Amino acid sequence: MGRPKAWLPWFGQTMIEHVVGKLASWMDEVVVVTSAELDLPVLPARVVRDREPERGPLGGIRDGLAAIESPLAFVTSTDAPFLSALHVDALFDSGGACAPVAEGHVQVLSAVYPRTATEQADALLARGEARPRALLKALDFEAFDARGGDHQEGGFAPWHGFNTPEAYLDTVRAVDPGATAEIELLGRAALHVEATRRAVPVGTLGEGLRALPKELGLVEKGRVARAHLVSLGGRELVRDLGVPIGPGEQISVLDALAGG
Amino acid sequence: MNPVQGFHGCYRRIDLSRGTDELIPIDPEVLTRVLGGVGLGTWILHREAPLGVEPFAAEAPLIFAFSPLVGTGVTTSAKFAVLGKSPLTGGVCDALASSHFAIAGKALGIDALVFVGACASPSEWVNGTLRPTASWGRSAEQVAATLSEEGRVAAIGVAGERRVRFATISADGRHAGRGGLGAVMGAKQLKAVVVRGTVETPVADPERVSELAADLRRRATGASTAKYSELGTIGNLLSFDRLGVLPTRNFQQSHFEGAERLAGERWRAERRHRRASCAHCTIGCEHRYGYRTGDGEEAQVRVEYESVFALGPLCGVDDPDRVLAASRRCDELGLDTISAGATLAFAMECGERGELEGAPRFGEGDRLVEWLDAIAHREGLGDRLAEGSLRLARSLGGDAIDRAPQVKGLELPGYEPRTMQAMALGLAVGTRGADHNRSGAYEADFSEGADRLRGDARSVRLAIESEDRAALLDSLVLCKFVRAAFDDLWAESAALLSAVTGVAFDANSLRAASRRVVELRKAFNLREGGRPEDDRLPRRFLDEPIPSGPAAGATLPAERLAEMIRGYNRGRGWDAQGRLDERALDDLAEALGLDARILKSDRASRGAGQAGSRG
Repeated sequence: MGRPKAWLPWFGQTMIEHVVGKLASWMDEVVVVTSAELDLPVLPARVVRDREPERGPLGGIRDGLAAIESPLAFVTSTDAPFLSALHVDALFDSGGACAPVAEGHVQVLSAVYPRTATEQADALLARGEARPRALLKALDFEAFDARGGDHQEGGFAPWHGFNTPEAYLDTVRAVDPGATAEIELLGRAALHVEATRRAVPVGTLGEGLRALPKELGLVEKGRVARAHLVSLGGRELVRDLGVPIGPGEQISVLDALAGG
Repeated sequence: MNPVQGFHGCYRRIDLSRGTDELIPIDPEVLTRVLGGVGLGTWILHREAPLGVEPFAAEAPLIFAFSPLVGTGVTTSAKFAVLGKSPLTGGVCDALASSHFAIAGKALGIDALVFVGACASPSEWVNGTLRPTASWGRSAEQVAATLSEEGRVAAIGVAGERRVRFATISADGRHAGRGGLGAVMGAKQLKAVVVRGTVETPVADPERVSELAADLRRRATGASTAKYSELGTIGNLLSFDRLGVLPTRNFQQSHFEGAERLAGERWRAERRHRRASCAHCTIGCEHRYGYRTGDGEEAQVRVEYESVFALGPLCGVDDPDRVLAASRRCDELGLDTISAGATLAFAMECGERGELEGAPRFGEGDRLVEWLDAIAHREGLGDRLAEGSLRLARSLGGDAIDRAPQVKGLELPGYEPRTMQAMALGLAVGTRGADHNRSGAYEADFSEGADRLRGDARSVRLAIESEDRAALLDSLVLCKFVRAAFDDLWAESAALLSAVTGVAFDANSLRAASRRVVELRKAFNLREGGRPEDDRLPRRFLDEPIPSGPAAGATLPAERLAEMIRGYNRGRGWDAQGRLDERALDDLAEALGLDARILKSDRASRGAGQAGSRG
């Protein structure tokens, strides 16, 4: 993806703000399990650091379950902007471990797990098992038939996510074909244009920069030119033209020698 | 002739109390080991400063140090260093300025000019003659105009005369600004130093120097320095705002809603603009902008990011005319804009909290100049502000110290430590105090892929490297704005220095020299009572998350900073407390002919402390 999924823009928010915001409006408590390295925005949630990320997703689920107070927890990945309350409620209605099954796939990261599953998770992890599906199987989970469209938002399943920039951008464009990001020219680049802010269609950073006047020299040898640096949302600093820039995102083109 | 060319092999020591004037030879080996500028000046400081001397005592030395490249025509090399014991920090202070003063001073046939003692009445030193001055009470600019026919002038303003602890020394309108050495000069009642020498700099291989200088000049034109030549450091302001690193209202926020009004990008379209260069510089980073004075008249002032940040966002002021007028007033009074703005901003927050009666208020741009005058003349509350934020905090008591924006007594420059965590380390461990010129760790934070919100071992490594590079540039001396013109700073500097001096330097010997300079500075602070706990940031930065803006929620946990400091000390080869071991001090003493007993003196353990180090 080229950048953390949690920080991907989603129509005026970061992805994690969007997803956690939804969950917080439906749930009594929200716990976010994340790696020790990743900074997060301020969230209406408790943050638990995954101290052993090498254990894989099962380890993260285990740590999240250990942190909650409620008897049941709905578990989701970060990149799930189409979560719906109907979907979550339907899974909780089962009263125990429950996961949607669609086209033969168990959606292990859009499923309900009992808090007491930590013991089974520990046993599985001790055997070197890293797959959440193994835990669901051990819990004898209820399969939820998710073929119907009742829980879908805009034609997307509640667990719809993306693992590549193209998938992310396709999804954004499907939601809003006219979605744009804003590029602001700062420093020297600002001296050579009349309008320092430009709206550009969502796409890769390279597509966005190439939409600006060529004489600014922002692109060089397939990267952001050496004299410049690009900030995404005021946080990440990048030169990789392949990173996706999303809806409502603020992109700043800076002088590379910032400081001094 | 001195066997190491590029130097004269001596310094001139003037005792203002006794009226003596003597040439002190410098061992050529020492010159190759500390180079010039900050390195040479720190070595002289070790020799000339009596152990535990008070910064304002007559015995405290004030050193103007030149460097091997001065006079060679290498771009940006016309710089000099001023050194002494800082009245703000009680530790080493080295401040640089670019000026013809450097060329004219070195042409006296010396590598440094050292003043000890104090004048019986306000005086000026003019090419070897000490005489009463008629300029007491005037600005440095006025003094320079008066004395310009007699040579190049370094002078203090009213703030230096009144011993404001962040007073500057000015030359050609540029300031040796940080750490308060203008007040040390004022304590000596020395208003101005005027130099005009005729001794040429001996150079080992003039043709090679000329060739290398031309090559560097060529590379320092264009993309590598375009940021400085086209826009100047004011270009930082809006970028810093967008990155959430622009300190605002005494570091309570890192994003300023009025930033666009203070952006250089905008001023270029709206204001009268003129560009200029320092002596022997081909970059031309000086950008002067027009502004309206309080009387409605048009004036111009040299603009730097640090001045605008400190007198603007840090004080909550977004009126460009007010900020530029305040910057100009600091120049006239001889005040360090960073410390002046930061001390005012601290007082503003204390006032808001009801801790300081009659304090200035955030956003009151129309009163900035009035407050600066009060500080420089030490009138009313200005007298307390003239002591700097650390001493003001101590006088207020309670937890005010946690919000005083300083390290070791020196006010922070315009870099928010919570959102620039490599820089946070550089600020915490700096021997001069919170310093962006002796540590360029901001480069690590502003590099591709860096996680500037989470300092780690990489930040430590890059902070050490940037400090070493700065020590080299400050000892050669070259302007840091030329740094991007080098492909390999160490090897190319070695080639240049070898051609100037006739001594075979290489990258390794320069790395060793730079590390030695860093150690010399550290050793000075230790001998003067510096303590491990001086390497820290105010509690605000460790307790409070950034409340809003692009970096909302960013924190710098105390343990993370502590781990980086431990890593820094390990990386330097010092003990966990940041002390040099006996053997390292012995080596330093032997290599540089310094008194090992003084170097190893541990005043902190005897209960003494640096003036600025006690919270």
